[in-house]
Amino acid sequence: MKVLRLKYEKNEITKKNKAIEVCFKCSTCSKFCPITQHVKKYNLEDSFITQLFEAEKPEALNDVWMCCACEKCVITCPQDANPTEVFTNLKEKSYQEGLAPSIVYRLVEQLLQESTVYSIKFANMIRKRAGLKEVKKNEKAVKELNVLAEKTGLERKEVN
Amino acid sequence: MMFSYLFFKGCTIPASLPNVEKLALEVLPEIGINLIESDEFTCCPDPIRLKGANQYFWMSTAARNITIAEEKKLNIMTLCNGCENTLAIVNHKLKNNPALKKTVNEALKNIGREFKGTIKTRHFLQVLKEDIGLDHLKKMVKTPLTGLKVAGHPGCHLLMPNEILKFDNPVDPEFYDQYIEALGATPVDYLTKADCCGISLALAGDKEASSRCVKTKLIDMQLSGAQLISTACPSCFNQFDSGQLMASRDYPQLKEKPIPVLYGVELLALAMGRSLEDIGYNLHRVKIPIKIKR
Repeated sequence: MKVLRLKYEKNEITKKNKAIEVCFKCSTCSKFCPITQHVKKYNLEDSFITQLFEAEKPEALNDVWMCCACEKCVITCPQDANPTEVFTNLKEKSYQEGLAPSIVYRLVEQLLQESTVYSIKFANMIRKRAGLKEVKKNEKAVKELNVLAEKTGLERKEVN
Repeated sequence: MMFSYLFFKGCTIPASLPNVEKLALEVLPEIGINLIESDEFTCCPDPIRLKGANQYFWMSTAARNITIAEEKKLNIMTLCNGCENTLAIVNHKLKNNPALKKTVNEALKNIGREFKGTIKTRHFLQVLKEDIGLDHLKKMVKTPLTGLKVAGHPGCHLLMPNEILKFDNPVDPEFYDQYIEALGATPVDYLTKADCCGISLALAGDKEASSRCVKTKLIDMQLSGAQLISTACPSCFNQFDSGQLMASRDYPQLKEKPIPVLYGVELLALAMGRSLEDIGYNLHRVKIPIKIKR
């Protein structure tokens, strides 16, 4: 069984996630992770979590966005290392560096244009079929979100 | 006694499950939940992708949604596990961490808002558990779903972080089964009940993995004799509805024995005298006939 080797240099990720230092590489988290279970390229010997923690540039690994924070790894970790929190921080870094999947940047654009992650036009077509009143774009809410985006440093990236 | 809540609709339900939004407004008052609508809310924002984009923006936007309810002096009720996960986590963190609250309020100041920490956020299942009570719900049921075997899918996002949500046992969740029982139906037990539905695998680009994940649960549900699936998360609902159809293209065992899924509110509506037609069952993707004893 491959041993989970964590790069314990005080790099950015370990500085921000002190809990990783208590990880003693038991791989219990991998056994319960749905990504390792179902995604073909991963298995118990070479799990999603292992690959992320061992990578030179973990934020470049697109697969970190497969993590939906089901927190099975958090529930099962005997050391309370909270891998999910690490993945959220990795996602953030990958987003800032322009390495996140393009859908994420598109969702941000949609949100900052209509304050929803769905297209109001398409939603209204579906709503009409169900006999519901239309959703109207709230201009004030959109403006407020754009101010928040600026003040919190939310990066925007043009994608096709 | 009526419990009043500001209705946080989120994104997935208004856009892809509008019949559930309509049903909630119609049926929940019949069991004592008074829903007040607002058009000021934005996306919660979602705890997986938008949280991953920028956590400061995520917290500030969630806090903005909370301030809307604080102004109206009402607690929030949502129908979506993801929305509750976001709102509960941010509400809890800001209430208990003064430095974090200060940082978020610095952002909110620019839009004339301030998070005060005066309200609670609840998923509709939490309202049932804490305000209404399942025993009381049972008494209000008009047409108990006797004999209907239902495989409950609790989902992931109402369970963790447990110290914040404090809703159910994350290792062996039981509340959803108790809810099914209160409506008169029979909850079935199956091995992979606490497993994730896997929809995020498809959203991240691996449709094959997503189908493999949902198929594992569906086969277990078939073996347990379930006639129906039920869940109170709209993403999980979509995974068991259109996701089941997609998975059945690769797995013939699923095609042979499809199992329809009903949203928590739809199941409640059936127990309150509505028909399959009333609940908008024809809008589902998996819509084989369901025998309901009346």
